[in-house]
Amino acid sequence: MKKTHNINIGNSIIHIEEDAYEILTVYLNEVKQHFSKNADDFEIVTDIENRIAEMFAEKLSAQQKQVINVDDVQSVIQQMGSVKDFETSEESPEEQISGPEYNPIKKLYRDTDQAMVAGVCAGLGHYLDIEAKWVRLFTFLTMFIFGSGLLVYIIFWIMVPKAKTRIEKMEMRGEETNLKGFANSSLHPFAEQSRGFIAGFIQAMGEFLQGTGKVIFKIIVGSIVVFASFFLLGTIVALAAFLGFWNSDVHNYFPISMVNEEYLFAMTVAVFIVLIIPLLALILFSIRVGFNGRPINKVLSYGLLLIWLGAVVTGIYYVAKVSTEFKEGAEFAQTTPLKVHPVYSLNINMERFFTKEDSLNYRIDPARYKGRKILNSRDDDFNSPRSISFKIEKSTDGKVSLSTNFKSRGKTFEVALKNAQNIHYDFLQEGATLSFSPVLHIPKMSNWRGQEVELTLSIPVGTEVQISNEFYRYLKGGYNYWDCEREKGAEYTSWIMTDTGVKCKFEKEKKED
Amino acid sequence: MIAENTQTQMRKGILEYCVLLIISRGEIYASDIIAELKQAKLLVVEGTLYPLLTRLKNNGLLSYNWQESTSGPPRKYYMLTEDGKAILKQLDTTWQELAYAINTSKKVADQESKGPINQTES
Repeated sequence: MKKTHNINIGNSIIHIEEDAYEILTVYLNEVKQHFSKNADDFEIVTDIENRIAEMFAEKLSAQQKQVINVDDVQSVIQQMGSVKDFETSEESPEEQISGPEYNPIKKLYRDTDQAMVAGVCAGLGHYLDIEAKWVRLFTFLTMFIFGSGLLVYIIFWIMVPKAKTRIEKMEMRGEETNLKGFANSSLHPFAEQSRGFIAGFIQAMGEFLQGTGKVIFKIIVGSIVVFASFFLLGTIVALAAFLGFWNSDVHNYFPISMVNEEYLFAMTVAVFIVLIIPLLALILFSIRVGFNGRPINKVLSYGLLLIWLGAVVTGIYYVAKVSTEFKEGAEFAQTTPLKVHPVYSLNINMERFFTKEDSLNYRIDPARYKGRKILNSRDDDFNSPRSISFKIEKSTDGKVSLSTNFKSRGKTFEVALKNAQNIHYDFLQEGATLSFSPVLHIPKMSNWRGQEVELTLSIPVGTEVQISNEFYRYLKGGYNYWDCEREKGAEYTSWIMTDTGVKCKFEKEKKED
Repeated sequence: MIAENTQTQMRKGILEYCVLLIISRGEIYASDIIAELKQAKLLVVEGTLYPLLTRLKNNGLLSYNWQESTSGPPRKYYMLTEDGKAILKQLDTTWQELAYAINTSKKVADQESKGPINQTES
């Protein structure tokens, strides 16, 4: 069984076998190219085509058959003469010498004959004149760079057509697609090409899937489409939120709070495009593979790829811009003297800072409040990086003081210092009880610039500090809190300042026991 | 190479004349022209004839009629125009002159070559 084509040549319809068709196409293209420098090329080529049609008709009726095969085409070509024959009897001798030169055009196809998966690497290998195994190695390695190799592979899989016909296979190899090239071609039309093991496996899989597994395959592809579509929808909703379609203060969340207001729109759109195009590609590809959808328009695919690359570049540009906002660092310290007590207790006091008014202002639900890393107004743990640190030091002059160090970064030193000065941090002394806020505040609508507060409590030797569990939870000081025994029922651990620094009271006593 | 080139040039020069001669006998189809030219060993393949016919037609030496064919598309049957006939007459004279020139040269050459060849043979 052979595939046949219907061609219209010289206004008559001829059935022609596929391999014969390819040879004829090549021949007619050569003829056209040959006569293209002639002013009457159209008429000449039409005459030739008419004559070929006539010869075909004669052959079909003489042999009582319906289809033209390779032998027929070859005998017709022999009778009509090849382009080389035309050259020797050409009108002007100068042109003969130059003759038409064939610069074999290489085209990118997927080489499914030597495929490991879909023939993308093998095809690229032909195109770039590199052995396929190196392309494969490169692709494999780049898969570990955020899966970019995989993504690119899939994009190529979608966009690059498979080399189906002999001409396409020859174009893929950069062989001449004229009759001479046909003779020289390393390809044998009907010889089965050797396949890689994996490609063979995948083909076998494909055959299996065409049978019983088809349903399973469709379900898998279908669920990929559904999930990807949900994700796509989510991305669109997120975009809407980011662009402020409703009054969301999403820009106060930590990673986004870094981005300057004026960059936010462009950056959001860029990130959106970077996310959405591969998703779209995945969905379209899945539909194409799973449900025999139409191949994606090439112009559209390349257009999307270009837009995607553009968005990546835009994103990188803004990331770079934002990162310059962190160039310089500045800090300033503020020392508050405290009344001397033999024992201090350190507490976290949230109520103090989150009055009803605050809650309204910042949209905070104090009941749900449990964050220790919050800058401004939200109540999730992940909103901002850890921004308050606490330590206890020995005081040499017998006085007790709390020094607060405000740190920030900014584009210039001045900006950084201003950012540091804008940090608002509260603590309160009530007798021997020191109450600290678990968060620092920066003015609403300002950006996160690495604002930090370092608290240093200086106490003389012998002073005891009781650190409440809650305090420790929010303001870790680098002490082995859990190694320190608590008195039964106590909500705090006791620490004592010694000559060599602060020590756990009960751990120390235990050792003495 | 030089011999080949000269042969090609000579054939080409004569080809046009021969084609006009063949057509001058009456309306004729391109592949019949080819058949005759092949007999005369002036042309091997059909493809070369079409550009020539087209050129002659465009120069006003030929015209053609479409005629239905039992096998395949309608055929172009070529014939000479008045211009073509006039040109053919001119070519006839030229050819006679050429034939005369060649024959004369050949006779002289033959006589000259016969001498030395005979000498070596004897």
